[in-house]
Amino acid sequence: MQTSLAEAIIAAAMGYGAVGLAIGAAFLVFGIGRLDGGAHGAYAFRPLLLPGLALLWPYVVWRWSGGAAPGFAGQRRHRAAHRWAWIGLAVLLPALFLTALSLRTPVGDAPVRIAAP
Amino acid sequence: MSVRYGVVGWTPAKRWYDAVLLGAIALYLVGYTELAPMLVPESRALDGQSLRIKAFGSAAFLLLTFALAIGPLARLDRRFLPLLYNRRHLGVMTFALALAHALEVLGWHFAFSPTPPLVAALSSEPGLGTWPGTPFVPFGILALLILFALAATSHDFWLNFLTPPVWKALHLGIYLAYAAAVAHQVFGYFLAAANPGFVGVTVASAGLLLGLHLAAGLRGRRAPILGAEWVRAAAAADIPEGGAVVVEVAAGEPVAIFRNEGQLSAVSNLCAHQNGPLGEGRVVDGCITCPWHGFQYRLADGCAPAPYTEKLATYRLRVEGGEVFLDVRACPPGTYQQPVPA
Repeated sequence: MQTSLAEAIIAAAMGYGAVGLAIGAAFLVFGIGRLDGGAHGAYAFRPLLLPGLALLWPYVVWRWSGGAAPGFAGQRRHRAAHRWAWIGLAVLLPALFLTALSLRTPVGDAPVRIAAP
Repeated sequence: MSVRYGVVGWTPAKRWYDAVLLGAIALYLVGYTELAPMLVPESRALDGQSLRIKAFGSAAFLLLTFALAIGPLARLDRRFLPLLYNRRHLGVMTFALALAHALEVLGWHFAFSPTPPLVAALSSEPGLGTWPGTPFVPFGILALLILFALAATSHDFWLNFLTPPVWKALHLGIYLAYAAAVAHQVFGYFLAAANPGFVGVTVASAGLLLGLHLAAGLRGRRAPILGAEWVRAAAAADIPEGGAVVVEVAAGEPVAIFRNEGQLSAVSNLCAHQNGPLGEGRVVDGCITCPWHGFQYRLADGCAPAPYTEKLATYRLRVEGGEVFLDVRACPPGTYQQPVPA
């Protein structure tokens, strides 16, 4: 990866996080009590939420601005998602091991002296 | 059953759980960094920081494997259920170890770079090809980011705020994190590892996980998907005292059939709080207790004890010749059903 691209990715991540921290802090002070009754009068736990709020701030803004919470799709669908995830891993993990084995540097090969250019 | 949030909902069991967890992690880290160097020849000895990098990384991977194994273990043997109840602390510790691993890497391999460590870590990644040209750091970063997202949203508030479908979808990311962690190892350490020990541990861990989930999945499939109104649900002897079997039905949500003091009762498998799997919980003080947050319901009518107001749908049961028959038509939440001796 080019250095300029790496710098751009990190700068974008820092900017996203900074915006998230500001929105998260405001939400903890002004918004949380409106959306969750369990937060009324409870303050000690709020700083724990800040990393998550900074990460998921677009969702926070959406819910804070009146976005509706999604409905429950059912336990069966959730279990099916788990099942498919494990079927995927059952294929992916052996494939990763086999790929790594094929790329692996043979251990014990005698070193080869390289001629001077 | 609305509750005011706290930092951590401590119970004596959780304190023990965390004490054992922290003790085991400390023992592993000390063992790895202090004892492991005695087992390798001096020619292959590592400096202290490289040892810490490997100790934190391997501890995070093993803990992640353990966290993923708890679900199927609890389904296969109910004695593992207490591990399931406090799994979120395990997840947070896994993230902390993975973060420590990443910080050690940045503080060692990129400590003397003229460019900032993070930029150096990303920009020094090689292109695709054979080792040492195979990129593996992005897989580690991906796993770390996912673990961060899961740890950051592990508080009860998030389940309520994100809502169960979003929270559950987000936390399915644990599987992607595991795959990324495996890729991080196999394209990094594996390709040049002279010591097959950790390679073997990684392959065995992944194989164990896949085997456990396969076994738990096959066991779950024994519960038939039933279509008629009155259907054979289970052998009475298969329902453990203080526990439940979960029955899939053709329409609607699964049904949990509990046994308490020799009598059977059936309720919806969905906790009214956050849709937790009640059938994976236990009967505590005569009440069904959700494994996720400890919400409780009476067996006979599915009602939470006063002053709480949550209610579950209940189901009719009968027992004939040691077989339990279930009427798959759900009764309205809170409907009393006489428990059936069995």
